[in-house]
Amino acid sequence: MSQLRRDPITGRWVEVAVSNPKRCEEFDMKPQTKKGGTCPFCPGSEKMTPPEIEAIRDPKTKPDTPGWTVRVVSNKFPALKIEGNLDKRGIGMFDMSNGIGAHEVIIENTNHNKDLADLTQDEISTVISKYKSRSIDLENDARFKYILLFKNHGEAAGASLEHSHTQLVALPIVPKRVKEELKGAQNYFRYRERCVFCDMLAQEQQEKERIVFENKHFIAFCPFVSRFPFETWLLPKTHSPEFKSIDDAAIYDMAGTLKEVLMRLKLRLNDPAYNFIIHTAPIRDGVYEEFHWHLEIMPKLTNVAGFEWGSGLYINPTSPEMTAECLRETKT
Amino acid sequence: MPELRRDPVIGRWVIISTERAKRPNDFNIEHGEEPEMECPFCEGNEKNTPTEIFAIRKPGTKKDTPEWNVRVVPSIAPKFKIEGELERRGVGMYDVMNNIGAHEVIVESPRHITDIYQLSELEIQDVINTSIYRISELEKDIRFKYCLLFKNHGLKAGGSIKTKHLRSQIIATPVTPTRVKEELRGSRHYFGYKERCIFCDIIRQEIETGARIIMETKTMAAIAPFASRFPFEIWIMPKVHRSDFMNIQADEIKDLANVLKTIFAKLSKVLDDPPYNYMLHTAPFRRANRPGYWHTIEEDYHWHIEVMPRITQVAGFEWGSGFYINPTSPEEAAKYLREVIL
Repeated sequence: MSQLRRDPITGRWVEVAVSNPKRCEEFDMKPQTKKGGTCPFCPGSEKMTPPEIEAIRDPKTKPDTPGWTVRVVSNKFPALKIEGNLDKRGIGMFDMSNGIGAHEVIIENTNHNKDLADLTQDEISTVISKYKSRSIDLENDARFKYILLFKNHGEAAGASLEHSHTQLVALPIVPKRVKEELKGAQNYFRYRERCVFCDMLAQEQQEKERIVFENKHFIAFCPFVSRFPFETWLLPKTHSPEFKSIDDAAIYDMAGTLKEVLMRLKLRLNDPAYNFIIHTAPIRDGVYEEFHWHLEIMPKLTNVAGFEWGSGLYINPTSPEMTAECLRETKT
Repeated sequence: MPELRRDPVIGRWVIISTERAKRPNDFNIEHGEEPEMECPFCEGNEKNTPTEIFAIRKPGTKKDTPEWNVRVVPSIAPKFKIEGELERRGVGMYDVMNNIGAHEVIVESPRHITDIYQLSELEIQDVINTSIYRISELEKDIRFKYCLLFKNHGLKAGGSIKTKHLRSQIIATPVTPTRVKEELRGSRHYFGYKERCIFCDIIRQEIETGARIIMETKTMAAIAPFASRFPFEIWIMPKVHRSDFMNIQADEIKDLANVLKTIFAKLSKVLDDPPYNYMLHTAPFRRANRPGYWHTIEEDYHWHIEVMPRITQVAGFEWGSGFYINPTSPEEAAKYLREVIL
């Protein structure tokens, strides 16, 4: 028998296989092999990318040359363009505007064969502090309303280059998925005067069965209403609407938690393709006190088929209780 | 310059990318191998499926034997269980319900074919009539609120690895799914201040401008929507306002069969048999004992079929934002589909 569970934030229903969940060993993953070849993100190929925006590099070296450890560049094939005006307009009943935005790539390390999970906690902290500094910098551009940080790992998750990197997109509008989450959090708050994510954290800490890992500032758990097998959320334990306000101690703990989770996924599931996304409050529209920023990791182990697309009702062949246990027991 | 376009119904934004503009040949379509296993859906193998629920079959022949045109069976691996009472409860802050629902497979042909255009128009009409009959039967079960008719074609679209035999699926659910609610709310909202159906307005504008029309018959229109999420996304809509697919008329069934056959033949030709999903969006079940439940729907909603070729990867950006990047403009896609010679 399976169960329908409702996400308390968005109201989305998910079918979860509780009594006969698919077991960890049943996810038959073929290991991904890196093809190598010429890579624009490797040291020595700096001229193949658009000019560097920011980098952590040896002070004796020049931009766009080797000698860096983390490097930020514009996306060579940006989904949105940085120059120009929005020029909002209507065409009959339809609304449109120019595709203005920033699209940057954060190259996490110099080694082509090292993924984010393979870096040390200190190295991951440096990468996260770049997420932060780029977010703060792009907020100064008055055309932008939202900053989305995400990572595509593996071909099945949409990564077009295999050298480990994170992407950042600054958008002139607040995306729909984010609006839904904000609205859900606001509704919950209006009714109970509490943050829905803080409540979730409290319940998870009490029940414990869905927790994967925690340290002083962060907790990683498989959400009660997981849409995908091994879906894992990282939540800061202190209430905070915006990612960019994270301090150094929290960055270090976030790096530790992220490393633990990604490493366990890698070991347990043979380096699966995954996406992760930082959900944070919009910029410029005032403060969204009801919101609690977090990071969602979604391994790509199943195909989203017609039913899910048409209904928005996800079918999860396993249960978060099972996947959390499996990840908890994986030794890193 | 890339463009941002907003879907007028649910407000979803899409980036129509010009930087990475793609033509049909730029998509790499993988086909995978034909499975060797014996197909349980072929004529003669009726005993390999669960017991037949319904079939259009030769008079005088028995259930679960050959000589049928369309056959409906319960899913071999049902996502929902039909037996039991709905039981709602809370677990701390979370809501839980046991999972009652129906999951049926409509086997669309006794022959081992894989795409709908390989059927004749008359055979497609049989398939449409079968869907209507099954949905009307499921509506009688008061535990259900919604019924979704959909198809997964090809592995990338969630199709089975065991057989490619032509079929569609029906799932009846005890909740109205989120995606459906969004659309219902969006169109109700539009109706609220314009007093016109948003889909009727879309059809009017598309016919007037013509750039995104793929084909038209007397009663049906197939368009590439203005804010297409995916390359070669197609919507098929009845020209006459109807909220509920179940009220489709005989001449519309004929036209729909024609449109389905043509559209999928075109799609297969232009993109070399791409994986795709399609789904029927129709009004939820209205229950007389629930006053006020979607009571304006007859006026403000309009059934349609959405076809989504699965030829791009949905990546982190799309998941996180609900904001899609489409590398082929719908005008371009419509032009290819309009002009391809079958």
